[in-house]
Amino acid sequence: MAATCRNKIREKKGQAMALTQVSSNKCCGGYQKVFEHDSSELKCKMKFGIYLPPKAESGKCPVLYWLSGLTCTEQNFITKSGSQRAASEHGIIIVTPDTSPRGCNIEGEDESWDFGTGAGFYVDASQEPWKTNYRMYSYVTEELPRLINSNFPVDPEKMSISGHSMGGHGALICALKNPGKYKAVSAFAPICNPMQCAWGQKAFSGYLGPEKSTWEAYDATVLAASYSGPELDILIDQGRDDQFLSASQLLPDNLIAACSEKKIPVVFRLQQGYDHSYYFVFSFIDDHIKHHAKYLNA
Amino acid sequence: MDLYEMRGRLQVIAEENTASEEEEENEEEDEFVMVRNRKMTSDPSDRPNAWCIDCGVPTHSNPREHTHTQHRVITISTAAQEIKGELCKRSSSLAEKITQMDNFLSNLEEIFITVEENFGRQEQNLEQHYNDVLQSLSQRFRDNSAALLDEKKLKLEALYGQLLSCGDALTASKELIEHAQELHRCEDTHIFLQTVISIIKRMEEFSKDEVELKVCVCLDFAPPPSDLTEVQHMMDSVNVVPAPSAPVMNPQLVNSASPSSLRVCWSLFSDDTVDFYQLYCRQICEDIATETVQEASVLRVKETHCVVKDLYPNSQYEFWVTATNTTGISPASEKAVYMTVPSPPDIRQHECASCLEAALIRWDSGNTNPVESYTLELCEDGELDHAVTESIVAIPTCECVVQLQPWKCYIITVRAVNIGGSSEKSRPIKISTTGTFFHLLKETAHPSLCVLDDGFTIVYPDEDLPLSDMVFTESSFNSCVAVLGDLIPVRGRHYWEIEVDDWTEYRVGVAFEDTQRSSYLGANATSWCLRHIRTPSRHKYEFLHNGWSADVRITVQPLRVGVFLDYDSGTLSFYNTHLQQHLHTFRFTENESKRKWMNGQMNRQVPPTNDSYWIRGCHSSFV
Repeated sequence: MAATCRNKIREKKGQAMALTQVSSNKCCGGYQKVFEHDSSELKCKMKFGIYLPPKAESGKCPVLYWLSGLTCTEQNFITKSGSQRAASEHGIIIVTPDTSPRGCNIEGEDESWDFGTGAGFYVDASQEPWKTNYRMYSYVTEELPRLINSNFPVDPEKMSISGHSMGGHGALICALKNPGKYKAVSAFAPICNPMQCAWGQKAFSGYLGPEKSTWEAYDATVLAASYSGPELDILIDQGRDDQFLSASQLLPDNLIAACSEKKIPVVFRLQQGYDHSYYFVFSFIDDHIKHHAKYLNA
Repeated sequence: MDLYEMRGRLQVIAEENTASEEEEENEEEDEFVMVRNRKMTSDPSDRPNAWCIDCGVPTHSNPREHTHTQHRVITISTAAQEIKGELCKRSSSLAEKITQMDNFLSNLEEIFITVEENFGRQEQNLEQHYNDVLQSLSQRFRDNSAALLDEKKLKLEALYGQLLSCGDALTASKELIEHAQELHRCEDTHIFLQTVISIIKRMEEFSKDEVELKVCVCLDFAPPPSDLTEVQHMMDSVNVVPAPSAPVMNPQLVNSASPSSLRVCWSLFSDDTVDFYQLYCRQICEDIATETVQEASVLRVKETHCVVKDLYPNSQYEFWVTATNTTGISPASEKAVYMTVPSPPDIRQHECASCLEAALIRWDSGNTNPVESYTLELCEDGELDHAVTESIVAIPTCECVVQLQPWKCYIITVRAVNIGGSSEKSRPIKISTTGTFFHLLKETAHPSLCVLDDGFTIVYPDEDLPLSDMVFTESSFNSCVAVLGDLIPVRGRHYWEIEVDDWTEYRVGVAFEDTQRSSYLGANATSWCLRHIRTPSRHKYEFLHNGWSADVRITVQPLRVGVFLDYDSGTLSFYNTHLQQHLHTFRFTENESKRKWMNGQMNRQVPPTNDSYWIRGCHSSFV
């Protein structure tokens, strides 16, 4: 497997999309790897993690894109979620991009933990000085899938998306904005209605400007209310003891109301005693991978 | 002529016939060769190429020989074909005749043997009979001659006795006379007178004794009584058949009975001649209470078998038979018991259940008295002529769990069996192993709940019955308006679906069979359910077990709920069938699984239940 990958990487050398393997560790019969590449969308070097299940050695596999939350890199999910066992079992490749461009030397990018570096919010920024690099939406929906499809044994027709917190918001908007592109979507404690919460308002006004109508294109609750496309089966887990739930940063009720109105199937599970951490993610990641497998392996 | 010899000859004839056929063909060729040769010598180019039908000789068609100018002439090949055909026809008809004669011969042979045997037997009989008569006569002779000897001895003895007594009397008289004469010559008167008196007295006495001068025995010879009527009878009976002996009843043969008829067979002793039999038939009443003995019906039969009709199914009948000929009637045979086969059972469609791997079939016996066992037969639907692919025999009760292959459709029938044989097939039931299929158990339903006749649908009327009108039984729910379904007692995987009305509040799930009838489903440790509650603003769903529910919110209300019970993984899952959306999964604890393992009844644990309005169980395939 490693050899074929290297070959492919060698083939791609000289092109814009050159991959450099940063690490490779055998895990649950497959390999957990990290690659680095020059992103044309973000105009910087980006890392992403990719888990290749044993099945990928003999055939094409579906891909689950995982979007992480605020402050995370590609490392958090691959080291803390324990997703590899279920991914290995169901034969699913999991791709985990970083959460924002890094090292772009934009003024103020490292000033706060909920804006700038580690807080790309999966939007294409329209405001200076962010609009050149902060194009995470296009990165995760276009550039990264292209890169993955051309370098790994994947079935390009079978992709799905999931995420945690800000990444849950990212997963929901990617799925709702691209009907049919993702076969399934799920989220852990997603920011469901960013326009109505402090995090979202800070990020959107910074990246998108003061005009609120432009924010609507990146708000899951708004998008759900106008969704039309193939039926989506959305699974959402939320810890009841999540401090950000009580701080009204996540607002799942708004999304549930919109989905109920639009008859978008959602199963929302409020898990007693769980908080916002990766311990919570770890506890229910198997259910989510099973949920994705149901549609990816159908 | 000896038959075998005759047969031998016939065979020879037949062989000769086939041989001659071949020869004829050969000869034919020979002839042609001969003719050809002859012609060749005379005129090589002038071979006969035609055949005169009238003369039956080869000839020339052109120019036609003058002798055949008026005759029918055909080409020689056509002639050969025609004649060959004719030959074939004749030889085949001959062969047919030979076959017929062969058959006739074998018939004759049989008759010959039978006649021979019969005559041999007749001869033996005659000899036996005449021996009997001779023996009887010589016995008579011995008896008579012995009687004669006795009589002779008696008579001779009597005569001899008379002879002796006469001689004695004579001697005595002579002696007396001599004595008198001597006295008469006596001179001395005194002495004379002294002795004469006694002499005179003796003479007087003597003269008094009259001498019997008749022969004391009868001189006539009485001929012995010669009663020959018995012999005469014997002689007469030489030509009369004896009355038959009692026939022997045969036991019932396999597959000889039907629900309403029996084929009864018996045999007779081979020497007996019988004109007809009388078959007596009587039903055996197992009901001891009715002591009345059934009247026996009588049938007159020529053969040694009879099909008795108009009988009751699954019943025992006793039969006995007498044989009659011109001489008389035989004693009755022993009684034999026969049994009619049962009526076909009746499958209780509403009490059958099935799942992926098995089906539970229940049926009514169809017979008032018990049958020996049942046989279940199954075939795959769509197979040609529905040939039975599997049968389960010797089922003692009116239900059976049969293992099946998943994802197939079967046609299942049942037969009732007793010693007389098996009944016709019951009406078939179609079983699809595409999901779990069951009916609701009416007896468990809360009195307010109506289970419709389809066995799947429950309705909760708007108005409750007054409490005084509610009839509760031990198995019925008495606080929760619920009903249990009858799940097939098979472990493994079960999937079924429930259609629910838009605005119905309901609980659907599973419960152990012994779940408390007084508590609400999901409120105790023996039941698990999905509960739908209507609030003014939204639909609320709870997944209840032991009074606790997972906090789950569902945006699209399911109108068809899929329930998946997996014994192997110990899980119970609920689905929105239309969306194929997974809603919730319960995991059974180890103890619950253990308990299920230990308690077979636990298998029968499923039950859609509900709180109001209507709900319908559906049979459907796995998602």
